[in-house]
Amino acid sequence: MKPESTEKLLEVRNLCTHFHTRAGLIRAVEDVSFELAQGETLGIVGESGCGKSVSALSLMRLIPNPPGRIMKGEIWFEGRDLLKLSEGEMGRVRGNRMAMIFQEPMTSLNPVLTIGRQVAEPLEIHQAARPDKAQILCGELLERVRIPGGRKRVKDYPHQFSGGMRQRAMIAMALACTPRLLIADEPTTALDVTIQAQLLELMKNLTRDCGTSLILITHNLGIVARYADRVNVMYAGRIVEKARARDLYSRPRHPYTVGLMASVPRLDQDVKCKLRPIQGQPPDLLQLPGGCAFQPRCGRPIEICRIQSPLLTVASENHEVACWNPADYPKEIGGEHALTS
Amino acid sequence: MAIFQRNTKVKPALCRTGALAVSAALLRHKSAGAGMAIIWMLLVMALFAPWLSPHDPNEQDLYHVLQGPSRAHLLGTDDVGRDLLSRVLYGARISLIVGLLSTLTATVIGVFLGLVAGYKGGLIDGFIMRLTDTVMCIPGLILLLVMAAALGPGIHNIIIAISALGWTVFARITRGQVLMVRELPYVEAARAAGASGWRIMFQHLLPNSMAPLIVASSITVGGAIMLESAAAFLGLGVQPPTPSWGEALRVGYSYLEIVPLFSLAPGLMITLAVLAFNFLGDGLRDVLDPRLRGEGDKIK
Amino acid sequence: MKRYIAGRLLYTFVILFLVSILVFILARLLPGDPIQAAAMINMDLANQEIIQDLRIRFGLDRPLYVQYVIWLRDFISGDWGVSLGSGEAVFDMFFKRLPVTLELFAGSVFWSCLIGFPLGILSALRRNTWLDAMVTATAITGVSIPVFWEGIVLIYLFSVVFHWLPAAGFVPFAESPLGNFTSLLMPSFVMGTHGAGLFARYIRSSLLEVLGQDYIRTARAKGLSEKAVLIGHAAKPAMIPVVTVVGLAWGYVVAGSFIVEYMFAIPGLGRMGVDAVFLRDFPVIQATLIMTAVNVLLVNLLVDLIYGCLDPRIRIQ
Repeated sequence: MKPESTEKLLEVRNLCTHFHTRAGLIRAVEDVSFELAQGETLGIVGESGCGKSVSALSLMRLIPNPPGRIMKGEIWFEGRDLLKLSEGEMGRVRGNRMAMIFQEPMTSLNPVLTIGRQVAEPLEIHQAARPDKAQILCGELLERVRIPGGRKRVKDYPHQFSGGMRQRAMIAMALACTPRLLIADEPTTALDVTIQAQLLELMKNLTRDCGTSLILITHNLGIVARYADRVNVMYAGRIVEKARARDLYSRPRHPYTVGLMASVPRLDQDVKCKLRPIQGQPPDLLQLPGGCAFQPRCGRPIEICRIQSPLLTVASENHEVACWNPADYPKEIGGEHALTS
Repeated sequence: MAIFQRNTKVKPALCRTGALAVSAALLRHKSAGAGMAIIWMLLVMALFAPWLSPHDPNEQDLYHVLQGPSRAHLLGTDDVGRDLLSRVLYGARISLIVGLLSTLTATVIGVFLGLVAGYKGGLIDGFIMRLTDTVMCIPGLILLLVMAAALGPGIHNIIIAISALGWTVFARITRGQVLMVRELPYVEAARAAGASGWRIMFQHLLPNSMAPLIVASSITVGGAIMLESAAAFLGLGVQPPTPSWGEALRVGYSYLEIVPLFSLAPGLMITLAVLAFNFLGDGLRDVLDPRLRGEGDKIK
Repeated sequence: MKRYIAGRLLYTFVILFLVSILVFILARLLPGDPIQAAAMINMDLANQEIIQDLRIRFGLDRPLYVQYVIWLRDFISGDWGVSLGSGEAVFDMFFKRLPVTLELFAGSVFWSCLIGFPLGILSALRRNTWLDAMVTATAITGVSIPVFWEGIVLIYLFSVVFHWLPAAGFVPFAESPLGNFTSLLMPSFVMGTHGAGLFARYIRSSLLEVLGQDYIRTARAKGLSEKAVLIGHAAKPAMIPVVTVVGLAWGYVVAGSFIVEYMFAIPGLGRMGVDAVFLRDFPVIQATLIMTAVNVLLVNLLVDLIYGCLDPRIRIQ
């Protein structure tokens, strides 16, 4: 485990991102606050549509407008509030101080431009590298992300690359300017399992070497357990639980987190122990229930859950949870994941 | 109506009331609504020309030739003193007849050849498709001129010539649909079970290919009206004294400096007619074929 | 890429071959055989014996397929026959008029691009605004408006009312560059309108599609400005489908040249074709049909090749 640095790299306060669609208002991200220290890896977990990707895009200020808009909040990054920057100033942050890797390697690269041109572009924009020099640097970058014969493939086009290689190229592109923060939005979801592990290892090593902080967005709890220092669990646009990865796994507090854990097979678990999927449907953001959004699917609702939405409160050291009736541990430590019943 | 079942997700109203609902959706569509309005106007003009016209369109008045607008002649008179307004009203008949009839024949020929090509495949398919390529690589107007020269002028020959050019689009659409439907699992299964291939094909083809065919028809009507007027403008269309917009345009063009309305008015009518059918086609594409909507407004 | 080019070339030649058959058949459909047609124009030939002689000399008594082979052989070797109207060799007539029509084509392409590109880009960037709606309506109007009516309206405005431009006639460039320019201004504009409308519509939809792609988001995430994203990342992929529109629109441009040259009295190939139709001048009609097809097929071949060059997925397999 890395020593906790006290220096905050990123602090998000009360971020709200809404989408104004024809069907109605979607509060994709609602009142989200979190922080990130230098060199730290933060995992953001949740089902699809829970607002993880929108939070990431909000950090980069890449929310398509219309229909989306960051309604309020502050994003403090390297001592500046990104939401107050001009578009030009923001352009100097994107791809330079803060970079992002997307989910779909097959479509995230421009099919008509060479890999070299695309990977080297951040160097040309942010470090005023001359094109010929940028191409040489690009070859080195491709080697660093372990693309076989990287230097020779600078002139290749994306269709000549496999999915895994494209994602490696994306990583090279994102790390070209050694950013302080790398956001990886489901970087390996579209890839084979074997390649997934290689890529995550690579990303972990490269960010560690550069001292880059990493926000790893995924729905895969296994990935988070392995790579993240701290974890935010999101549900219906809100953070419902925040904890160190260790703590979250040993003692999940929010019924949703508990449910997520119970629905994932674990190697250390008795084979006879059945998986328990979470009941009900993922929430419809257009028609959220009153009170707690998870309450219709919750195994342990109480009176107030239907009336009022719970706020994040400190449950123990470095562990916050937004639940009126969180799972309790002192007597149940090491117990089965039978908390929902 | 089966045609509209595919749209259930987008506009549930469509499958219930069929054609009526489509019309309603078209009226809500701005440009299609405008197109429909113009087409209705043209239909009224063509059907009620005898009652709407202030004069007999063929009545010559050699004392009052090439006059500007007046109380007696709202649009003025032509080179032999006929009332222009009456001739413009009657002119809608030729344009609509040629447009609709030639599109109808072109559709029948095209759908038939497309069916044969798609169903038979192999050499016949290759031959028919190369034939469409061949016809398509000479611009319609030029082929039309040559055919008009070969067949002689006159409304029948114009309709024959336009049909002989216009079928290619329909053949391509139909063939594409046949190839698609052939591969559908239930059609293959039905054929394997010994059901008549043709019958099943028709059952599934019709609902699938209706939307693109209707869209193409609408645009073809506009194209046919344009071709007919172009031929008439070059003196190879409907022969005088039948009132025709293209013919009026041809004669009026020589008197542009004296009586501009003589050519401008019929020309405006041609433009409106072509525009109306293109607008309608555009709207039909949006309403009938929601799949195409995502692609913007590509003409396929 | 080589296979792609070979495929396109083969296709072009197959279609050209079929066109030659079609044209040959069409020419036989024309009323009266060419000798009779010639006889009608030139009274000296109106003698049955002479006509019979000529028939044999031109091979018109031989079976159709033999006639076709002879005709095709002659055509390829540049013997396109003699105009029944003027007595001139059709081959010479064609190449004498070609530059005029080419100039007109160039002008119309210029107008199409000049109007279509900015309109299409503008409406894509201002999608779903009143400006977008205006551009779309203008584009459909541009696609629908008949060449001859647009010509008349322009002549009425700029020649009859304002006296700014000549109503008709053609001034060769060698004679007066300015006169050449003004004499072609209106005709080329009229011919370019249809293409401009098509361009505007296709560029709009193509650009919108590209701007919604993931790789545009990637480009933005690199810190590129909107302008740089548009020029550096969106323009090229958006152009690829638009190139094919040139092939689609070309038939209209060529057809337009026939009417426009007739209206504006421009001595080009279109005018020659229309005159030949009036006179039933069948060697000229044949040459016009074939060369029109060659023209359209060549442009389409060129479009396919450019398409292949622009798209690395085709260029590098």
